[in-house]
Amino acid sequence: MSFQLTSKDYVTYIKQAAQLIAENKEYISDLDAATGDGDHWANINMGFEKLVSNEDELSVLSVGDMFKKIGMLMMATIGGSSGVLYGSAYIAGAKVLSGQEYIDDQNLCTVLEAMVTAIMQRGNAQPGFKTMIDALYPAVETYKDGLEIGLDTKQILENVKKASIEGAESTKDMEAVKGRACYQANKGIGHLDPGAVTMSYQIKTLIEYILGKLQ
Amino acid sequence: MKKIINNPQDVVTEMLQGMVKAHPDLVYFKENEVIARKNKTKKVGIVSGGGSGHEPAHAGYVGKGMLDAAVAGNVFASPSPDRIIKGIEEANTGEGVLLVIKNYSGDIMNFSMAKDLAEMDDIRVETVVVKDDVAVKDSTYSTGRRGIAGTVFVHKVAGAKAEQGASLDEVKAVAEKVIANVRSMGMAMTPCILPGVGKANFVLDENEIEIGMGIHGEPGVERSNIKTAAEIAEILLDKILSDFDYSNSEIAIMVNGLGATPLMELYILNNEVEKILTQKGIKIYKTYVGNFMTALEMSGCSLTLLKLDEELKELIDAPCNTPALKGGE
Repeated sequence: MSFQLTSKDYVTYIKQAAQLIAENKEYISDLDAATGDGDHWANINMGFEKLVSNEDELSVLSVGDMFKKIGMLMMATIGGSSGVLYGSAYIAGAKVLSGQEYIDDQNLCTVLEAMVTAIMQRGNAQPGFKTMIDALYPAVETYKDGLEIGLDTKQILENVKKASIEGAESTKDMEAVKGRACYQANKGIGHLDPGAVTMSYQIKTLIEYILGKLQ
Repeated sequence: MKKIINNPQDVVTEMLQGMVKAHPDLVYFKENEVIARKNKTKKVGIVSGGGSGHEPAHAGYVGKGMLDAAVAGNVFASPSPDRIIKGIEEANTGEGVLLVIKNYSGDIMNFSMAKDLAEMDDIRVETVVVKDDVAVKDSTYSTGRRGIAGTVFVHKVAGAKAEQGASLDEVKAVAEKVIANVRSMGMAMTPCILPGVGKANFVLDENEIEIGMGIHGEPGVERSNIKTAAEIAEILLDKILSDFDYSNSEIAIMVNGLGATPLMELYILNNEVEKILTQKGIKIYKTYVGNFMTALEMSGCSLTLLKLDEELKELIDAPCNTPALKGGE
């Protein structure tokens, strides 16, 4: 089984992710109120709203140019650390996709790996720091493992989705090393990291969208 | 909150609009909150920036012999890469651009992202990170030492070097030399009020001061009762001199006000600083007293020492003409 996503497809995924983020306003805001500034939901929601409002322009770009444009829009709209981290991720993904016609089963893993590497380098952070990386890094590792042992695409994608959700869940027991939560006495232990949760929403939505296209 | 403002949302834009009206040789790009020189010459471009609230840093240092562009973030918040890119584009004349960054996590991320984007557009960009504050090892917004008033010496020296026609590598090297030889230490007496927040960002008692406080109100090293100018000079110098060996050196010093401290007090402090340095046999080549790197209306000061060699002396003395620093002509 294989898949090919055009820019128009990816924008469809963006709209679905935007909707899931929008629906979880209270949940994400509550998580953030416990550990952070309380503004994560508002910022990321604003970023996704901005992407959706630019859907016509994004849909007609090549996949590489679309990724770059998404990165620029997210940086300018989300602001702060999240904005530049998402921006870095998408621009790293754009470099992988440069000259490619589709996002497909041949390049998606490489794109996601470039994205998580960019976030880790830019944020000077590692898995286990109680950040969005904890929802993306295990997904990428699972993807690579699946390709290496030759699982079929559907199985790989399902594993990736599961790894991302479990990765976000795992932040509950972690001590924050970066960001606002690390200045708290208990370092945010006992609370999910809101950035990891919104990241897992994106991975989950993307994978479900691709699974829908497979069948 | 008592401030001469309109809407707190508009303080950065309206400040920069007011600034270009006072300094017509500067140009303002509202979309990106960038101030740049109107008249460009072909040379290495120097760009700095960061959160607003530290005026005259950084837009006040745009002009001949210092910066080519300054990028403003919101109050105490880093500018985003799309703004910084505009600053880079305005400063670029084909010889490459040096970014002078203060060591705060947000600034590092946003400026390094902007560097990557500029390089995708084939503009050569190098960065230097200023971390002159000896007060604390790590801080609320930084990994490693914070960048404070010593940054102004980097602007001055790198700007002068670029004006001489040096290459990007040479300009970066001399900026690194300043960073290696500059140390600062500050103290605060009253907090500051962010326009968008409306109340003080920390509390100090009537007679209390905090040694080593950062320019955003980040914690310092100790709180104590108010001291004399002589004692404050001694405390700040002790910390600096125990970190870096300035003995038998020629130095430039900067006695910097944080915003609400009168020049009278800064000169009194300078008088004490000079006595101690002279007694220790450290030769003062040049002295700057004034408000160079502020923290809104915080009262307090910082003291910066820069060890000079012949090259740095020449560049410190070189002409500059900016809203906040002029001389040498």
